Amino acid sequence: MLQVEGVTVRYGHVAAVREATLRVEAGELVTLIGANGAGKSTLLKAISGLLPLAAGEIRFEGRSLGNASARAVLTAGIAHCPEGRRVFPQLTVRENLDMGAYLRRDRVAVASDLREVFALFPRLEERRAQAAGTLSGGEQQMLAIARALMSRPKLMLFDEPSLGLAPTLVERTFEIVAEIRRRGTTVLMVEQNALAALGMCDRSYLLETGRIVQHGTGDEMLANPHIQKAYLGG
Amino acid sequence: MDQFLQHIVNGTILGGTYALLGIGLTLIFGIMRVVNFTHGELYAFGAYMAYLLVQVLQVNFFLSLVLAAALGVALGALIEFVLLRRLRGADIDTVMLVMIGAGIALQNFWQLAFSGVAKSINHPFPNLPLVFGPVSVAPIRIFVIIVAIALLIGFYLLINRTRIGVAMRASFQDPDVAALMGVNIPLMRTLTFGLGSGLAAIAGALLGPIFVVTPTMGDLVALKAFAIVILGGLGNIVGATIGGFVLGIVEEFGAGYISSGYRDAMGFLLIIVVLAFKPQGLFAAKERIG
Ligand SMILES: Nc1ncnc2c1ncn2[C@@H]1O[C@H](COP(=O)(O)OP(=O)(O)OP(=O)(O)O)[C@@H](O)[C@H]1O
Ligand SMILES: [Mg+2]
Repeated sequence: MLQVEGVTVRYGHVAAVREATLRVEAGELVTLIGANGAGKSTLLKAISGLLPLAAGEIRFEGRSLGNASARAVLTAGIAHCPEGRRVFPQLTVRENLDMGAYLRRDRVAVASDLREVFALFPRLEERRAQAAGTLSGGEQQMLAIARALMSRPKLMLFDEPSLGLAPTLVERTFEIVAEIRRRGTTVLMVEQNALAALGMCDRSYLLETGRIVQHGTGDEMLANPHIQKAYLGG
Repeated sequence: MDQFLQHIVNGTILGGTYALLGIGLTLIFGIMRVVNFTHGELYAFGAYMAYLLVQVLQVNFFLSLVLAAALGVALGALIEFVLLRRLRGADIDTVMLVMIGAGIALQNFWQLAFSGVAKSINHPFPNLPLVFGPVSVAPIRIFVIIVAIALLIGFYLLINRTRIGVAMRASFQDPDVAALMGVNIPLMRTLTFGLGSGLAAIAGALLGPIFVVTPTMGDLVALKAFAIVILGGLGNIVGATIGGFVLGIVEEFGAGYISSGYRDAMGFLLIIVVLAFKPQGLFAAKERIG
């Protein structure tokens, strides 16, 4: 479904991602793990068209996304739930969700997706008229996920959805990600919590200083001595 | 008491156009983070376009106002497209200097094109004031306040109730994430600057027939617009609207009860008082869009 081939992304002269290659097949839940500053968010931003590629190629469902705009990537069916929630603080919950469906013209389907999202996150429905900036951290994360769902994506990119949440909420967030995949959306998730990420995924990639250095199924990665030593505290 | 009512009415009418100027600037200043030193020149531009259309080209008065506003939107969009788009990421000093330069160039261009001689614009309304008890008002002024209030309400609804308005606010709160939602951010900037400029132009076109049109007419007005934006809280549309009316009424009282020479000083005195006690503006907390 998604192919990233030899992608390099630079900030000025510094390459934050170097010749990264990965693929995600339809229906999979793939995770991207790595330490702070490894380049995980940078790679997701390059996929979603926020950052230009210095080299390499990205293909989605066979079509090149080369240096497509964020708008074109979204239209192709990729939604990006960004790091740090990033809800629009002064818009209401409802307006945030409307922004998620900004490009959609199928009003009837949007209305039914909105009902579905409210069923998944009843808290958001209660607070639909409230400014998003006044929600709790956990509620904001749910809103960020719900907003991304409103574009009805084929592939969802999650960037550390559990960041900064209390342990019970972390668990709930991963349940929601799994539920989204179960309902048919393919998922590529960045996650620093390697144990959780490897436990729930089909396959995973490890990024170190901008390069993909390991990949394999969740179990293979969990059994890998290097990963155990550096990322699993073993 | 009769005097008092008359001052309130005059101040409200003046305040309506101040509010238009203020919300135009607050949109650009408060949410695009651009200190727009061309705002006063767009006001003069609107007045000159009304003059050109009504007096020179003999176009219908009402159509001329609509065209003057549309041309103001176009000129604002052009300024954004030609100057500001290139300055994305430049520091604020650079942007400010470029905008000051653009303002000076525009003002001198109006002088070159229309000479320094004041122009007046004829309007189709009777000159005889309408008398309501103790208050008398020229019909053209009633027309101006009705148009101003209609535009203020329309603009409020545009920003708060429409898809494009929501996208506009989202774009300035978090441009990267708005882009992820599919918003064309460069287009939003051009549109916002164009709309803000159009509001300045329509204010000029509305006041042109009441006062006279000169190349430097925008100078004082731009200062007042900044005052209104500060009064209302940056980026706050409702605040700027109220600020515009407050400024208009305070000026009218100053002119009426102290001396007409103090008219312009009153507004700035008000700003000093407000900022001394509430540096974030009168309405900073509510309804922020930026
Ligand atoms: N806008 C930027 N300009 C310059 N350098 C940047 C920028 N954003 C990120 N970087 C650098 O690129 C590298 C990769 O950053 P990135 O945000 O992709 O890391 P990450 O793997 O997502 O880390 P984290 O787990 O902390 O979110 C880092 O060295 C970072 O300092
Ligand atoms: Mg990151």
